[in-house]
Amino acid sequence: MSWDNELLERAHKIIELYPQKRSALGPLLYLAQEKDGFISDDSIVEISNLVDITEVQVKSVSSFYSMYKEEQTGTYLLSVCKSISCEINDSRSVINSVKEFTGLENYETDQDKLFTFEEVECIGACGGAPAIQVNYETVEGLTPEKTIEMCEWLKNDKPEIIVADQLQNKFGGTQSFDWAIEDNTGSAYTVPGFQNIGTAKEKDN
Amino acid sequence: MSDQININVNGSKIRTDSDQLIIEACEDSGIHIPRFCWHKRMDPVGMCRMCLVEIETPRGKALVPSCTTKVSEDLVVDTESEVVKKAQEGVLEFLLINHPLDCPVCDKAGECPLQDQTMAYGPGESRFVEDKRHFEKPIPISEIILLDRERCILCARCTRFSDEISGDPLIEFIQRGNKTEVNTFPDEPFRSYFSGNTVQICPVGALTSTSYRFKARPWDLKKVSSTSNCSSMGCSVELNVSQNKMLRILGEDNEFTNQGWLSDKGRYNFEYLHSEKRILKPVLNNDSTNEISINESMELISNEISVDNNSNISFIVGHNSTNEEYYALNNFAENLNKVNKDQNINVYLSDDYLYEGFFQNTDLLGKVQDLDLVDTIILWAQDIKDNLPTLYLRIRQAVKNGKKLVIFGHTNTAMKELADSYFGQEIISKNLEFNVEISEIPNFNELINNKNVLAIIGKSSPIQNTNPISNLINYLDKNSNLKILNCFAKGNTFGALQNIDLVKGLNEFINEFDSRKNNIVFTIGSNPVNSSIYSNQIKDKLMDANFVVSLDLFKNETTELANIILPTTSLGEKEGTFTNLEMRILKQNKILPTPGSVLNEWEYWSMMLNKIDIENNYESEFELNLQLCEEYLDKDNVPSFDNLNKPSNLDGVLNSKSINIEIENVEPGTLEILFVNRLYGDSSTQINSPSISMLGAERFIEMNNDTFIKHNLSSYTVNLVQGVITLQVKIKINNHLPNELIIAPLNRRGFRDIDTTKPYELIEVKNLEELSVN
Repeated sequence: MSWDNELLERAHKIIELYPQKRSALGPLLYLAQEKDGFISDDSIVEISNLVDITEVQVKSVSSFYSMYKEEQTGTYLLSVCKSISCEINDSRSVINSVKEFTGLENYETDQDKLFTFEEVECIGACGGAPAIQVNYETVEGLTPEKTIEMCEWLKNDKPEIIVADQLQNKFGGTQSFDWAIEDNTGSAYTVPGFQNIGTAKEKDN
Repeated sequence: MSDQININVNGSKIRTDSDQLIIEACEDSGIHIPRFCWHKRMDPVGMCRMCLVEIETPRGKALVPSCTTKVSEDLVVDTESEVVKKAQEGVLEFLLINHPLDCPVCDKAGECPLQDQTMAYGPGESRFVEDKRHFEKPIPISEIILLDRERCILCARCTRFSDEISGDPLIEFIQRGNKTEVNTFPDEPFRSYFSGNTVQICPVGALTSTSYRFKARPWDLKKVSSTSNCSSMGCSVELNVSQNKMLRILGEDNEFTNQGWLSDKGRYNFEYLHSEKRILKPVLNNDSTNEISINESMELISNEISVDNNSNISFIVGHNSTNEEYYALNNFAENLNKVNKDQNINVYLSDDYLYEGFFQNTDLLGKVQDLDLVDTIILWAQDIKDNLPTLYLRIRQAVKNGKKLVIFGHTNTAMKELADSYFGQEIISKNLEFNVEISEIPNFNELINNKNVLAIIGKSSPIQNTNPISNLINYLDKNSNLKILNCFAKGNTFGALQNIDLVKGLNEFINEFDSRKNNIVFTIGSNPVNSSIYSNQIKDKLMDANFVVSLDLFKNETTELANIILPTTSLGEKEGTFTNLEMRILKQNKILPTPGSVLNEWEYWSMMLNKIDIENNYESEFELNLQLCEEYLDKDNVPSFDNLNKPSNLDGVLNSKSINIEIENVEPGTLEILFVNRLYGDSSTQINSPSISMLGAERFIEMNNDTFIKHNLSSYTVNLVQGVITLQVKIKINNHLPNELIIAPLNRRGFRDIDTTKPYELIEVKNLEELSVN
């Protein structure tokens, strides 16, 4: 039993949301990633018991989707968009600045386990290209300079919770769309912040 | 029944069922559409795109996969147009991007769908110059299956089989895109009773079995259809032989029985045929140096049986003989009786699960096919998954198609997930008796009242009072439209029942054994000293007997006690018929020469008769077959060799004879341990088949968690102690079992000496960790 009671309780609550146990597989994998920073084999065994499917079926799903990480990620996952809109708006230089600052190649994690860098396909922020996600919290309208500033801030301040609006205010530029509602919830792990499965955290101002 | 509709394929009209797929409709009319992923016994997925055909749609012609498109009235299909050809070439060119060109060293080459279809439909040359994928090869995904991942074309046949058909999805696609591979979870091997089927249905050489890898080329194989005697299901198989060696057994699609699938035991239990340990000459007094000629052995035996006193002659028969051999044995016994009326001659079947069964009312006898026709399936018998694996697959399929399954405890816990109702310890006691009135069982009546019911019925335990079973059958007969499948699981048990006038059980052998008389015992293809709960008593009786003759393939615990061992033939070495559990008679064919001075069982009986000057009236299996056919009740469709060899009868014919079983109902006392037979055990055929010999080695018992706690245990490795017997066993937790009843495998080493009705102790193994460190 590698999962503690608190995590198991959260898992059972998630499973209750679905008519079939195995439908909870996706969210449970996020819990596993929240716990370890990646999907460990121990967690796969745990999940297979929770939702009554075999380990290899869990592994099949977790290895299919690129947001379930097979290797340990750093505290901050930097996902820089390389798709068409961002490319046109010079995402290459944003990518290069991240690479230069962190010294990482694609899918690499630094020795301090602080940053993981990856180039990703469209993250749905074309209106504010180029865009980047830090632990799946989106910042739009970046420049190479602002990008380095952001990385430095992450490195020095080591914020516990990343909130998209805050990042946007500090480092972002043009935004696709402004919801005009202050949102203080963000992500504390290399997992998207979802309120219904408890991966979202609220940040005090 | 679905309606018949017309479709037009390549310009000709075809009449077909309205619920068929295009690929099925074309197949039935003799038009072959190439395919890799589609298999008629599994759900379509449309993975490989090889079966693309052109159909006419309101928006013009369109390419569709024929394995996922249903036929419709007046559908126009073109399977050979230029567009289709171009599509097929494209698909094959893509499949070959990563498929290695290692056909010269690949086992599949010569019978490989990818190779054949590339020849027939491929572009002829590839435009790809890039490196192909490379993987470590081969990786063992279980003890008997190897995987070469770079050969895989991702058709998902194996993964779908393990999920849909056998229900143990231990292999899956891992990763995505061009990294996709089939694999298992680390430390969780593909340990399935049915894993061999994935090797057979793999359309490339990605999955291979240890027993066949690098052994032969398909074009060198001699093939013959036959019937497996692994279980009383009578699975249709194809025996593959090269240079007089059996190299492979494949499943054949028999609509009425196995539908193409086999258990791994049925598939891989053949290497023993060529084992060095096989007995090839008659042996005297269990001394290998003391080989004698067949003539000498016949002389010795006939001297014994012709002694003119009131001797007891007993035959303990196994379940691997053909109907013809049982018939010849019966004929031999009858003739002995004629010569000497004082002799007491009896035939005992070596199966602890034998009881009188339900054969009286032949109208009630069901068929395997009834699984797909009835409303409710009732199961109360020994462990079906382990003992009748292909029947388990049929039940799984029936449940998937909406049939209700009702299981009574406590042996079929592996099927609980499939059941609509599972009646465990609240309803069925530890002693396999009803705790409540049958009519009072909750939620039972609505499943059976006025419904079509198939009851798969047999003893769950070697020692069991069978009255509760009879009560259940009587209740079902009164309240439902009942059919019965008598569940004796072993080999050709039903052939023995049909062809031997009166069959008794091993307990009767012990009770009727009279040490004051001259006892002559024949054991025929059976090893009661190892495989029965009465082992010790039988051993005593055999030691006490005046003369013991064993007909067998190998030396074993029983032949040790024999005065003469006569070597016999096995699957593929003899021709004959086999009767399965629904009284379907199927053909077994000969493809191997008999090794050494080995004779068929019937030849020994015939020679012995000659020696004691009784004229026998048969000279071949063929004549025996004609004689035994005369006794079948349905005279119009007798299972003669000629009749069974007709193309229309390759799936066997149904026919019955009167069956007489005489077995005393034993009061069990209190059952502490429930014995089950596992698929893999310590039979001499399995032990002498190197590829699967290790699969029956693990010694484990099952119990529920409460029992585990009650015994105050902390580790899962314990000593099972009963009197002077100590067995180190592993404990597996099975929470479907009743409190304080443990399940133990009867056919694994060491368990046969345990008395199931006596108390036992579980004692922790001390210092186990220290031992393993050292």
